[in-house]
Amino acid sequence: MAKLTVDGTVYEVAEGRTILQALDELGILMNGVDVPHYCWHPKLAIDGSCRLCQVEVAGFPKLQIACNTPVKDGMEVRTQSDAVRDARAGVMELLLVNHPLDCPICDQAGECKLQDYAFEYGVEHARTREPRRALKKNVELGPTIVFDQERCILCRRCVRFCREVTGTGELGVFGRGDHSVIETFPGTPLDNPYSMNVADLCPVGALTTKDFRFKIRVWFLEDVPGVCTGCARGCNVWLGTANNKVYRYVPRRNDAVNETWICDSGRLSYRGIGSPDRLDRAMVRGELGVLESCGVDQAIAEAARRLRRLVDGKGPGVLGAIASGHGTNEDLASFAALLDGLGVESRGLATVLGDSDELLIQAEKAANGEGARRIGFGDARAVLDRLRTGGLEALIVMGHDVLAAQHLGGLDGLERLDTLIVLDTHHSALERVAHVVIPARHAAEKTGHLTNHAGLVQAIAPAVQAHAETLPEAEAFARMGRALGLAAPGPA
Amino acid sequence: MLTVPYTTSYLTEHFGDDAFTTLAGYRARGGYQAAKRALTTMSPEEVIQLVKDSGLQGRGGAGFGTGMKWSFMPQKTDQPKYLVCNADESEPGSFKDRILLERGSHQMLEGILIAAWATGAEKTFVYVRGEYAFPAAQLRRAVEEAYEAGILGKRVLGTRFAHDVVVHVGAGAYICGEETGLLESLEGKKGQPRKKPPFPAQFGAFGMPTTVNNVETFSHVPHVVRHGAEWFKGIGTAKSPGTTIFGVSGHVVRAGLYELPLGTRLDEIVFQHAGGIPDGRKVKGVIPGGMSMPILPAGQLDVPMANESLRERKTMLGTGGIMVMDERTCMVRVASVISYFFRDESCGQCTQCREGTGWIHKIVERIERGAGSAGDLDLLLDVAAKMEGKTICAFSDAAAWPIQGLLRHFREDFEAHVRERKCPFPESFEL
Amino acid sequence: MVISEATRSAIDAEITRYPRKRGALLPALHLVQREHGWIPPETARELAGIFEIAPVDVMEVISFYTMFHARPQGRHQVYVCTNLPCSLRGARVLLTRIEAHLGVAAGETTADGRITLGHEECLGACGYAPMMRVDGTYHEDLDEARAKEILDALE
Repeated sequence: MAKLTVDGTVYEVAEGRTILQALDELGILMNGVDVPHYCWHPKLAIDGSCRLCQVEVAGFPKLQIACNTPVKDGMEVRTQSDAVRDARAGVMELLLVNHPLDCPICDQAGECKLQDYAFEYGVEHARTREPRRALKKNVELGPTIVFDQERCILCRRCVRFCREVTGTGELGVFGRGDHSVIETFPGTPLDNPYSMNVADLCPVGALTTKDFRFKIRVWFLEDVPGVCTGCARGCNVWLGTANNKVYRYVPRRNDAVNETWICDSGRLSYRGIGSPDRLDRAMVRGELGVLESCGVDQAIAEAARRLRRLVDGKGPGVLGAIASGHGTNEDLASFAALLDGLGVESRGLATVLGDSDELLIQAEKAANGEGARRIGFGDARAVLDRLRTGGLEALIVMGHDVLAAQHLGGLDGLERLDTLIVLDTHHSALERVAHVVIPARHAAEKTGHLTNHAGLVQAIAPAVQAHAETLPEAEAFARMGRALGLAAPGPA
Repeated sequence: MLTVPYTTSYLTEHFGDDAFTTLAGYRARGGYQAAKRALTTMSPEEVIQLVKDSGLQGRGGAGFGTGMKWSFMPQKTDQPKYLVCNADESEPGSFKDRILLERGSHQMLEGILIAAWATGAEKTFVYVRGEYAFPAAQLRRAVEEAYEAGILGKRVLGTRFAHDVVVHVGAGAYICGEETGLLESLEGKKGQPRKKPPFPAQFGAFGMPTTVNNVETFSHVPHVVRHGAEWFKGIGTAKSPGTTIFGVSGHVVRAGLYELPLGTRLDEIVFQHAGGIPDGRKVKGVIPGGMSMPILPAGQLDVPMANESLRERKTMLGTGGIMVMDERTCMVRVASVISYFFRDESCGQCTQCREGTGWIHKIVERIERGAGSAGDLDLLLDVAAKMEGKTICAFSDAAAWPIQGLLRHFREDFEAHVRERKCPFPESFEL
Repeated sequence: MVISEATRSAIDAEITRYPRKRGALLPALHLVQREHGWIPPETARELAGIFEIAPVDVMEVISFYTMFHARPQGRHQVYVCTNLPCSLRGARVLLTRIEAHLGVAAGETTADGRITLGHEECLGACGYAPMMRVDGTYHEDLDEARAKEILDALE
């Protein structure tokens, strides 16, 4: 360990770290100790070109860049001296010489590091009268990212990201001097499963996502911590909410789960929260054979009535249950308790499986498959075999992953069921054959816990208020249990 | 083009003889004997000590002690060690390395061999700027001859020492003359200088210990070995021994190359050797060391051309590129040409350099056009100050110094442009 | 445009001289450019394959160096140095006269594809100014008449 003194306070840091790394690991970088920076990023190689992170280091005649100065035992650093502030003001002024005055139309406004540091460390007024360089302003770098060449401050984080993290290397800095421009190879757009991370990385509004472009001003958004439910990784996110709507996911740093990244597909999965095909009303298939809207308690009562009839008449053996990795541990525990109370043994977990990679993307496309397995929902095959051979008369299904290719691949077998009860967040083809449909809550709308692929349990809390008619599955199952006259389930 | 400088000394005295450019001709004048002596009778440490004792300083512009630089190479290491010869000569006003390549490639190669022996380097990459097609061809010829004669390759001059030379041609980027920018370019990348530390002696070409020296620096080495440290110290000044090849250009009667001892006075070079200003005009200013070095006004040309003296006048020897400007010259136009150059050649990494060179050029250009205002002059100095001492390499400083020098000595020219809203020197060179 | 076999062999030979493959990239770019006067994207992509780097890495290098061209050039490249020592001796006036003579501005190519004209920074001929570089040859101590003579002789 090495002793590092910063602005008079002594810290113990690991050997071999740079000053910025040390501050970052202590959790005090820009959070107690201000060393503004652009090109440095904790998860990318050191660049050393923005020159903003200069600090005073005792024993060195010139200011040193904190990102590339290794800590030596006994080092003394000053981050707020006059010389440092002067240097910062110099860098800020020079960056603003060519930077266009786009704030009024720039998505980054409000979370822009150029704005922030110019305000904090910059000069009060512009001294430049010279025309700014005129470059392209709406370059479609690829399917997800828009690039404004004029706003770019050439920190090169995006270039390093594509080289070091995704290994796809689509971006490069062409030219030299103040005619340097970031570009792609003709015909090779910025197109990889993590492309949108460059918009987070970009300290300014040069790289923005098409998804968020011009949608809402960030100062209207409240950032609520949450977890992405796109796959079993459980990347941590900030849900940007306003007007009881989630406008975007932005990755939230968690070095144990997703570092500072999220895949594009996960990032865009916020769209599911407010999508038009959300189930917001319970439905029951009436005597005419048509699904009709009704109150959720009515639907639960109907579900309970049907289940009671079957259990009393033919025993719990004709019942089956398909759980979903989209539910929380609480939802699944409640489901298990209901099934235990009824004596249903045929139970399994259905999840969609897809591509995976070595970075973040997990094959299991639900956040809580591991949670479901640990609560006792194993492979769905046994249940579905019984369905296919006619051994089941009723099925309680969470979600609609059961329709996926590796499970049912369609509605086959489901039409023969006497009772199909579905709890889901979104409409699906199951409705064509379901008898009871109960609208469930999205992870962004409830409290609970999710267990990711590595067994890490992560808590979630509501970011938006759900539609009044929806219920967390845990609640739905509990009410169903009560309606069935079962003893209240024990603590989950 | 000159084949021999107007004044010669030990480096260039035989350049007038075409045979000297061939191996046979070089050998006939005692060529490669110093290398043979070093490789067969001196230890690497002895060679380094000799070069240190001689006081030879690098001739690439920085003036760092050559022997000292060689001693930074690790003695014992498993890694291959390399030498790099910086033949990227691109400093405006400098054209000395060119003649050393065109007429003295063998001399340089001999110096390289001695340096290789001293540092344990197994290979030298000679990085020749892309535009020097003829000098590179001359060098290649010399290298071929050397291989054929067993002077390069597995058994150098019959010894067990092996050494290879690779001629690597650049492609037009001034910044590749910067030590680590060169290394990046050598490795097939953009010539963007590296953060230091690590320094090339620890992490150089392809990550291996490397020493980078200039063409002229290597060229002095065989003479130091041949004649000794005392002999070398007897030429030039105490702090700056030896000769250098000054390149004189601009408004002089006899522009060209002059090999002279360091410490020769600038006015002697300009007025005696180069014949002074033509057409009876008076001198206005002289840039003494290549375009990065601050200008000296007419009254300050009585300075010995050596770093210790030039520093007192707030300038430096650099690469000895002496650019003479007569009384017709508008210094704002000079600033415009200079600032354009630095703007064009900045690699673009560091904020201060990338944006500063651009801003300075735009301001100067506006002043030159007649649209400047009084505050612009101090603004220029302020921007220049922001560019100093805070970047990955010294290019940013080199871009700042000339502007500081011009404003220090010729502020009136700038003020006249602002006041009269046009150039007050109608006879000045055109832009 | 595919890299010819002859050029490919030359590139392979270059690669052997460097401890790491990529060291031969600049020599390879020179070799490739010699064939057609410029380096088209397909060729850059092919080079990327040879050197096992991304195509964008090759383009970065091409774009950084003044002597590498990502656009077609005339049969001859003529560059007038316009840096300080040359400008002091009338280089810019000379360039203007050459522009008029050829009918193109610096940075452009003549309509018949014969000459691409440009200006360059210091070429190391300061004592012999003004001067120009025509392909690989320096023409120094120029005056307008001589410059025109040299240009007219170019096919």
